[in-house]
Amino acid sequence: MTGTQSGSIRWAYAINQWKPQFDDFVRREQHERALKTMSIAGFEGVELTYGTGRWEPLGNPQQLAANFGSVAGFREFLRGCAIDAVSSWYWDPAERSMEHLTGPLSPLVEADVPEIVAKAGWLAGALAELGGSVLLVRPVPGAGDVEPLDDDALDRVAACWDAAGRATAEHGIRLALHVDFLSALRRDHVPALLDRTDPALVGLALDTGELTAGGIDPLAVIERMGDRIWHVQFKDALAVDDAEEYLKPHAHWTVRVRGGAREVRWFAEPGAEGGLVDFPAVTRALAGAGYSGWIVVESDQSPHPAASALLAGYLVQRELGPILLDQRKAAV
Amino acid sequence: MSDDRAIKWSYMDHWRSNGPSGPVDQWHSHKTMSAFLKQIKATGFDAIDTFDFRIWQMYGDYGGPAKYQEMVRDHGLERIVNTFHAADYDVRNYAPHLPETHENILEDFRVTMGRWSEIELDNIIVMPATLYYDMEPITEDKLKYSAECWNKVGEITAGFGVKLTCHHEFFCGIQSEPDIETFYSYTDPRYVSLFVDTAQHCIAGLDPVALYDRHAHRVSGFHFKDTRNVATGDDHRHRPDSEIMAPTTGKWFYEMGTPQGLVDFEAMMTAVRDNGYRGWISVEHDKANKEGGDYSESTAVSRWYAKNVLEEIYR
Repeated sequence: MTGTQSGSIRWAYAINQWKPQFDDFVRREQHERALKTMSIAGFEGVELTYGTGRWEPLGNPQQLAANFGSVAGFREFLRGCAIDAVSSWYWDPAERSMEHLTGPLSPLVEADVPEIVAKAGWLAGALAELGGSVLLVRPVPGAGDVEPLDDDALDRVAACWDAAGRATAEHGIRLALHVDFLSALRRDHVPALLDRTDPALVGLALDTGELTAGGIDPLAVIERMGDRIWHVQFKDALAVDDAEEYLKPHAHWTVRVRGGAREVRWFAEPGAEGGLVDFPAVTRALAGAGYSGWIVVESDQSPHPAASALLAGYLVQRELGPILLDQRKAAV
Repeated sequence: MSDDRAIKWSYMDHWRSNGPSGPVDQWHSHKTMSAFLKQIKATGFDAIDTFDFRIWQMYGDYGGPAKYQEMVRDHGLERIVNTFHAADYDVRNYAPHLPETHENILEDFRVTMGRWSEIELDNIIVMPATLYYDMEPITEDKLKYSAECWNKVGEITAGFGVKLTCHHEFFCGIQSEPDIETFYSYTDPRYVSLFVDTAQHCIAGLDPVALYDRHAHRVSGFHFKDTRNVATGDDHRHRPDSEIMAPTTGKWFYEMGTPQGLVDFEAMMTAVRDNGYRGWISVEHDKANKEGGDYSESTAVSRWYAKNVLEEIYR
């Protein structure tokens, strides 16, 4: 839909909201309906989330091949749904790989680095074939699961992602660090890590919802690190972790999934009632910073995935897309 | 039509979403209405159709049809195109095949059209007969009386600049091919039009494309919706209800673009093109939420199909 194409910015939608549990969203017809929903809402691309095993048909290149004949076969399937590309792939190296018989990997563990680099290259190769441009990685474990990151730890993490970025660059794919609200990098460590990486190899993924839930203003991040932003995710935050629950061990389940002690819903599609993110302001700031690339809209999880995608599509078509177009016209 | 497209798409406004206390329709609140309209706009529809009985919510909650239409327009949609007059048919006082009830029907439309007169409608859509079991046996006289009734109603609606158009549910008294043909032979083309619902005709065992081709000159609109089942046995005359209570079929209606759909929409769109039709096509998938369905998704899939398949044939 031309209303959502704004020069060098392309809009995609993240698939993850359709798969709340491991045995959901495994059938071809479910994928088809989700992709057609994204397409008719005005999104050109889809962002995938890494997964492993036979109930993750869209989780990695081997599963794509098992389900669609080949990675190219999946691209054909996407085109049949009027989706042009896989914009990006999100990967947390702590996720095991049943395909490779590997367990959780950590960039803090030097012995894990070669496997991390190899997997980053593997995903990037497929992503290139799928028309994408960015591999998003979870750069460090959750804050409650590792010791505080000292200078030495940050050096090791930076070296790992520089190496992985070099591997993805061989496929023409950029590597972007996706800092979530549970991350050990929350608050002060993001610039400390970025400063240690090669700006030609590693960038930042700006996730408006994660930053806001972590008490960080995305506008401040754009102002401070706008030149390092290689990928953007637009999701809204409905709550802030102001009790620092992110410091709890295994917070993925107790804090992110359950919603912490308050059992809140952290995230929703942009524009949701009660949303804390000022998306018009973020959009203007990104345009002002000269951002080009994908903006992936997501809700993370949604009780009504199709409604979330359509409501987000409305916001992009009617409000955010026109902001970008107006700024381009003003620049010309 | 305000631009050069031959076809524009309107959405017949069946809808459910899940509220905190359970399922609600879009008329539940201004917030749910806004969410509905945003989703219709986001998928690329140009306008909406609605139901006649919603007029009370329009008056009560929005200040009337014109004010409600302003809200529709604020969401980027053009207008309300058609309204469906879902009458309470009853052989005691409201049955087109019974002439003694005609004056009551005519008065209903005089009042109804006055209520709608503050906005521009293309069609007021009616089921042209009672439920099948209230009209059977279907005789030529009953078809003739029905036609006479609608000729008079159509003259009233024409006075308000609105076409009276007939939508033949598979469970109404005028649904078989011979009965539809007899009915139209007695109606006045100036006052009575045909509104082709692709699924309803298909369920009744008719080819909707052939029916359209025969009556194209008096077709004033369409419901593009699909079905996976043709009625069998007494499905069309099941008491007390066929539409959602037939023992054979829990869900008759599906969105256009559904797998295993029986309607040949590509043939239908080709016929629309070849007959030179210009105007609105309404998309409908009533009861989409039955058996686990989801209105948002069905609406997205149907509009995706219209854009990516049908508009390649004719737009």
